[in-house]
Amino acid sequence: MSSEQDHLKETDTEARFEFKKEQNAAVKSDKGLTEEVIRMISEDKDEPDWMLERRLRALKQYHNMPMPTDWPGQPDLTELDVEEIVPYIRPDVDKREGVDDWTELPDEIKDTFDKLGIPEAEKNALSGVGAQYESEIVYQNMQDQWEEKGVIFMNMDRAVQEHPELVKEHFMTTCVPASDNKFAALHGAVWSGGSFVYVPEGVTVEMPVQAYFRMNSEGMGQFEHTLIIAEEGSEVHYIEGCSAPKYGVHNLHSGGVEVFVEEDAHVQYSTVQNWSKNTFNLNTKRAIVEENGTMEWISGSMGSKATMLYPCSILKGRGATDTHITIAFAGEGQDIDTGAKVYHNAPETKSTIESKSISKDGGRTNYRGLVHIADGAENSSTAVECDALMFDNESTSDTMPYMEIEESKVDVAHEATVGKIGDEDIFYLQSRGLDDDDAKKMIVAGFIEPITEELPIEYAVELNRLIELEMEGSLG
Amino acid sequence: MSAATHTEVHANLTDEQVRQISDELDEPEWLLETRLDALEALESLDMPDVIRTPGRDWTNLHELDYESLVDPLNAAENKDQVGPEEAEVLAWSEAVNEHEELLKEHFGSVVDPQENYLTALSTALFSTGTVIYVPEGVDAEGVTVRTEQNSRSLFNYTLVVTEESSSVTILERQSTGEEQDEQYYSGIVEIVAGENSNVQYGSLQNLSEEAYNFTLKRGDADTYATIDWIEANLGTQLTKSGVETELNGDGSESQIVGAFYGHNDQHFDIDARVWHRAEHTTADLVTRGVTDDVARSVYEGVQDVGRSAWDTSSYQRENTLMLSDESEADASPKLIINNHDTEASHSATVGQIDQEDLLYMTSRGVQPRDARNMLVEGFFVPVLEEIAVDELRDDLEELIAARLRKRD
Repeated sequence: MSSEQDHLKETDTEARFEFKKEQNAAVKSDKGLTEEVIRMISEDKDEPDWMLERRLRALKQYHNMPMPTDWPGQPDLTELDVEEIVPYIRPDVDKREGVDDWTELPDEIKDTFDKLGIPEAEKNALSGVGAQYESEIVYQNMQDQWEEKGVIFMNMDRAVQEHPELVKEHFMTTCVPASDNKFAALHGAVWSGGSFVYVPEGVTVEMPVQAYFRMNSEGMGQFEHTLIIAEEGSEVHYIEGCSAPKYGVHNLHSGGVEVFVEEDAHVQYSTVQNWSKNTFNLNTKRAIVEENGTMEWISGSMGSKATMLYPCSILKGRGATDTHITIAFAGEGQDIDTGAKVYHNAPETKSTIESKSISKDGGRTNYRGLVHIADGAENSSTAVECDALMFDNESTSDTMPYMEIEESKVDVAHEATVGKIGDEDIFYLQSRGLDDDDAKKMIVAGFIEPITEELPIEYAVELNRLIELEMEGSLG
Repeated sequence: MSAATHTEVHANLTDEQVRQISDELDEPEWLLETRLDALEALESLDMPDVIRTPGRDWTNLHELDYESLVDPLNAAENKDQVGPEEAEVLAWSEAVNEHEELLKEHFGSVVDPQENYLTALSTALFSTGTVIYVPEGVDAEGVTVRTEQNSRSLFNYTLVVTEESSSVTILERQSTGEEQDEQYYSGIVEIVAGENSNVQYGSLQNLSEEAYNFTLKRGDADTYATIDWIEANLGTQLTKSGVETELNGDGSESQIVGAFYGHNDQHFDIDARVWHRAEHTTADLVTRGVTDDVARSVYEGVQDVGRSAWDTSSYQRENTLMLSDESEADASPKLIINNHDTEASHSATVGQIDQEDLLYMTSRGVQPRDARNMLVEGFFVPVLEEIAVDELRDDLEELIAARLRKRD
């Protein structure tokens, strides 16, 4: 406990997220989505033709698809004008693929990541780090010991050049095709940056690899693509962190994540998302899990104006397993619409979804989940548990699970509870000498503990600290 | 839903038909106008909402050929409308004569006639109905409404009004008389429960398995009023049924108990919804259902807690037992919570007969088939226990047992 507190003192989380930098751009696209913009991005990246073709195809699909407007109770997207978003900004870094030494970065960018504590985390706890600033990865490093075992952790743009066969096969083909939804199509057209992770058969990467995404400029869109391929029997833990300062106009984050979990492999994907409260966060994240593979999604959704994000696992092979652990926190003016999707497409597959949400000061949280058990997925089981905590009467908390069960030999259970923070609990803590604010903080910390205990300590501390900040904001 | 999927049923419906129905019931002008407005609105109204998930509508109402199903001037039924002397249980034409003010005040006040395409169709065309009026302080037990449908289509309307501190127990049944190939039964039920009154409304739907059914039952509970529903569905090939309570008065309560058993290719789309709109309101939703063969069940349960609904308690359970691999059970129990002073929970399960229980019973000498039937009957017990109307409970039990006996 004491070391956690020391850590808290050393890191001024609020300052780390609020500071802004002057724009530092070498190349900046025009606003809006036209074929010229797409060609410009592709050309600037010196991409092979097949990638340009995929982008242009995705652009067509994007223009042909309607905005999602008919979901019951969905976040309001009317303020989002994609045509006003700058989809591509390449910061002024010398090496296109990013540097592998923090000192080589321009001072403004280095400063940013210093303040976010990323270089520090790299030294202490990680196998590798990628850092994205605007649309490009500016820093990328992987510890030698993993490189020697054939692990690849590199920026996605570089992977297109260096591992074209792997990328061509897996990039937005079977997992998240551009046709999946409007924002997947948008992503397919303008994607830039992100991570490529490849873990060869049987290799266990014992420490997490991390990517950090920072949106610095006003009115921009960030569209990083993450592709993880975990070969048979391998194991990897990928952590992504995101942040952006707050500006008057809206930013858009629309990432794409594709994870291939081969036989007996194990992938954990952890996210702590703290976009500024003017960001629309509309992502598509999906994993395909083969026989006896395990996929774990762990997400903390703190920031953004509106989030629509439902990480999905397709349990394709017999005995595949999925775990979702999510926590959402919505404060004033925030609408966090998140949940989980699981398709049980093979026998003996198993999923567990644990969702916690907190809403206060007029914020809205919603758990929107889909569990589909296909005919023939016998002896599969799923357990969904959603708990919502509400602070005040301006806030809203909804739960909208959808269960489609086509197979009888299954075990399906869904449970959800909503409640206010317990007056008795607060009274008890106050009688033990805590003031009202601290009592509430402690109750919230206890409420989200099942999530934080799954995260590496740095992230757990971070998440706790962020939630404390959110609560201080109004408890004053 | 988009206009493109709109079913063009009104092509063969005319003002004259509606005027004739209204005229035969000797209805006042305002009621005729309400019907004609509903008829006109058909052009612009959508089908009732159904749940949509990626790639599918959970219930497809658009496949129905209303044009061939609906024959507005050919309505035939056997009806039984009885109740104790203290309460008034009136056929629609009687109610029109004797209680015009009551109808004027309450007709369409709980279910908007133009809420959707099917409610409007029902409003324009209903030819039979029941009005149950319970004066202040009266306890009325044993009101029964039996409807035996003997025509291709039948549109039924029921209005229940209970005055302060009264209570009523109503048992409604729908069945099919002479076997028809395909039938369409549509029913709207409105309950206006006055202050501190208590309404128990049990319904047992056992129409022919060729029939289609759309029903919407909704109650409005005043201060300290209680509306309890029992909703049992066994018949039809396609049922879209909504049972709903608006808790508009402080301290009002509602319980919705549901039971269904689908076999062959039956499709049941059953909604249970409650809106907490006042302080200290309580709701309890309990549904159990079985799907067999290639039957499909769709369950939507909504607990909606409004901004001003302080001190709400709201609970929901839904359990489905699947007896065959080809059947499908879909569920979406939703919580919409806008007031934090709420205790709310829901749970839902889907599974098959517990193999250990089965093994235990067969090891004690029970034939496998009997053991399975007993376990299915046992599955319904928690719901049957909630049914306070003996006759309905006994009948439902017997219908379940009979269906199980027919099973191979």
